[in-house]
Amino acid sequence: MEDLAGRIVKKAQQLGCQDAVADLVVNRAFQIRFGRNEPVISSRWRESSASVFLVYDKRVVATDLKDLTDIDASMDRLVKIAKASQRNPEYAGIAKGPFRYGRVRPDPKVLALSDGSNFVDAAVNGAMAQGAKECAGSFWRYEDEHFLATSNGVEGHDHRAGLYLSIRAMVSLESSGHGIACASRLSQFDPEKAGRKAGRIAALAKNPKGGTAGRYTVVFDPLIFGALTDQVAGRASAYSVLAGFSPFGKKVGKRVASPAVTMWDDGSQESLSRKKFDMEGVPTRRTAIIQKGILKTYLHNTSTAKRFKTKTTGNAGLISPDPHAVFVKPGDWSRDEIFSEVKDGLWLTNTWYTRYQSYVTGDLSTIPRDGIFRIRKGEVVETWKDIRLTDNLIRLMKNVVALGDASEQMMWWGEVSIPNFVPYALIKDVNITRSAE
Amino acid sequence: MDGERDLVDFAVEYARQKGASYAEARFERQEPEQFTLKNGTLDALYVGADRGIGVRVLAHGSLGFAATNALTRVDVKAIVDDAVKIAKASRRKTPITFAQEEPITTDWSVPEKTKLADVTIEEKIQEIQGVDKAIMELGFKIPVRFFQLADNRITKYFANSEGSKIGSYSPRLRVTYFLTVVNGADSEQTHRDYGWSGGWEGVREWGLTNRVTEEAKSMQRSLTEGKKSPEGKMDIVVSPMVSGIAAHESCGHPTEADRVLGREASQAGKSFIGPDDLGMKVGSEVVNVCDDPTVEHAIAYYVTDDEGVRARRRYMYKEGRVNEFLQNRETAAAFSTRSNGASRAVNYNVEAIVRMANTFVEPKDHSLEELLEGVHFGVYMKSFMEWNIDDKRYNAKYAGREAYLVENGEIKHPVRQTIIELTTPTFWSAVDAVGKDLDFEGGFCGKSDPSQPLDASLGGPSMRLRNVYLR
Repeated sequence: MEDLAGRIVKKAQQLGCQDAVADLVVNRAFQIRFGRNEPVISSRWRESSASVFLVYDKRVVATDLKDLTDIDASMDRLVKIAKASQRNPEYAGIAKGPFRYGRVRPDPKVLALSDGSNFVDAAVNGAMAQGAKECAGSFWRYEDEHFLATSNGVEGHDHRAGLYLSIRAMVSLESSGHGIACASRLSQFDPEKAGRKAGRIAALAKNPKGGTAGRYTVVFDPLIFGALTDQVAGRASAYSVLAGFSPFGKKVGKRVASPAVTMWDDGSQESLSRKKFDMEGVPTRRTAIIQKGILKTYLHNTSTAKRFKTKTTGNAGLISPDPHAVFVKPGDWSRDEIFSEVKDGLWLTNTWYTRYQSYVTGDLSTIPRDGIFRIRKGEVVETWKDIRLTDNLIRLMKNVVALGDASEQMMWWGEVSIPNFVPYALIKDVNITRSAE
Repeated sequence: MDGERDLVDFAVEYARQKGASYAEARFERQEPEQFTLKNGTLDALYVGADRGIGVRVLAHGSLGFAATNALTRVDVKAIVDDAVKIAKASRRKTPITFAQEEPITTDWSVPEKTKLADVTIEEKIQEIQGVDKAIMELGFKIPVRFFQLADNRITKYFANSEGSKIGSYSPRLRVTYFLTVVNGADSEQTHRDYGWSGGWEGVREWGLTNRVTEEAKSMQRSLTEGKKSPEGKMDIVVSPMVSGIAAHESCGHPTEADRVLGREASQAGKSFIGPDDLGMKVGSEVVNVCDDPTVEHAIAYYVTDDEGVRARRRYMYKEGRVNEFLQNRETAAAFSTRSNGASRAVNYNVEAIVRMANTFVEPKDHSLEELLEGVHFGVYMKSFMEWNIDDKRYNAKYAGREAYLVENGEIKHPVRQTIIELTTPTFWSAVDAVGKDLDFEGGFCGKSDPSQPLDASLGGPSMRLRNVYLR
């Protein structure tokens, strides 16, 4: 299996390809989904596939091969298709290797796990102890092994593994809370804490009343702040900018957030998506996206970097550059200090369904879910429901007043697509709307 | 694919030997081909070659699922062992049961007049470049033109321990486009999606060049002639595109039985409709919303679902009341009813769950002109850009992209950013007349963990809503 990536690349070169990348992935993940406090299904995967990128005379073709029994035939077919395709004049090559990579290995205790039932029980029990009546969610043990080879001299091996648990606790349909546990090391994995948090928010969110539209100072829990920073990082991909899916066009060097905001992408750091290299084999590293509120760079692969007259940031995906993991520099406010700062405002704990009216302006709306709380003089005085956050991505980031002094790793279905290390955030003048009667 | 069929049959038989009270296996081969044309340039071509087998078993009252893409007896045996083992190890207290179904033996396929496999990639690219050229010839400033053409050929074989053996073939075609039109410092963006089950002839059926150029013209007109949308309570006539999104979001999702039961609570959420709410009033008597996998050429067409149950039309809202939930065999057993064939998986390597297919407002007999005639002062919303709905499917927002002021039954100038932000019952209760101009758009429906973005059609005719608040 180890030399298959090299064989694919060699075959592509024999067929006349100028550039070729093969990422052979062996996936050994397992999952337990649970609902109404008990498992609903357990799943396990035994899959091997090869993500292949090849370029024939500036004709770019990508694939994910699942049949690895006849690589030669698959490559013949791909190159034939490439020849019938069209040139992409904007294509500018892949990174030149070889590169040296650090010695990072997954936690053997994570690899040794064969069941996650205890983690599910711990999370559910944690939530129930706080007053929840019904819990749902999923536990994952991720494990995949990558063997990368490119036509520019790259050879890399990376074994990645991690643990993840997402739990939603409910007291009733409209009184719920959400908790997340993420870790690459077993010793750092705390599903019970995630359950307790979900249960605590659910219990606090009892008997909500319909919210009132207006502009509010809002405390963003890490999970919902992560949904915003995930948007920022995704929209900072050079591909998003070029395709019209970003409000950050022509904004490098300009203010796009408050001076309190510094965030970077870093695939090399410990996270659920820690990786040694990107799809071109470029070693992952820290790349500042926003420094004290100023947009520093887009995220690039070799081709988009050339287009923007800069260097790759090591964010190549199979076709377009993507963020790996987002880190927000914590501020110096304790959680209590952030809440105390709110004389009359809201505390939002989660959101979903973020959609844009215009990507180039950043006008969007998103729907807070789980606990929504009215705060006066730092204290929760009411629970709300049925509101929508209708605002603008850049305006929200510019209105960040304070950041908490500790970051947590957040990743969640749909809204936080990659690990985002985020603290509590205080944002002023947030526009809240609600359904008309 | 006899080899694959043998492996599937073997998986089912072996799972029974290992102690599964029920077993099913599904082979699936997907052959997607997709490209992006960005500002007239071919960005990258993606050609997939995906296949494998997934096995789901019921053992000791619990479900286990395992999948592999290694198609040997040894590998299939290993995933059956996995599935049975993890099901038996599950700490579930309430046994899962499946609603009864008769076994089916059949092979079905969607006809292709022009087989997708016979159309060269050159021809496909040229087709979309022709559309791109047509909008450039309009002379507008369109700095971002993003087209994605995707086709897929899906071959499946399903078997279960009750004797079902079903083969199928579904060719599918989809185009998604995204335009940004600029006028000075102002801009408009649009995103549209069309789907088709069948062969390359679907491209002609769409009439893509006409649709895209008309869209670009309407964007330019919005920028140059558009005025602020009126606010307050008034009548609104919505197009098939808006009816379709409402049918999907504000009827289809809240009537998914697994959501109603809480199985999706942590991801796609729950529902404002409870398990005992069949018959509850949610709209006016003219509102019938259904989901029908058997709509010919709609992108989510199928004859049997991924649990081997025959598909049929289901009326989720009938005469304004909750009439039926979308069911698979697991949820149907919980409701003491029968599956209505709504179980689908995005690929072999994920479990089949309750899903919508082609969801639409059932048309009636009004022409668009008749719907507009009854409006003294209001808005005609033809398309939307931003939309969302909460996780209990109660508070929805549809923000207009193309919309016009209507005065005394006549369409006047374009209005910009008309916002419908209403609860589900408020929306459907305001409908007083339903048109006959049924049309569909394509979409992806998101649900489950691992995420299963699935082909769906969203449709309906034009509808008139009375006295709703717009802003």
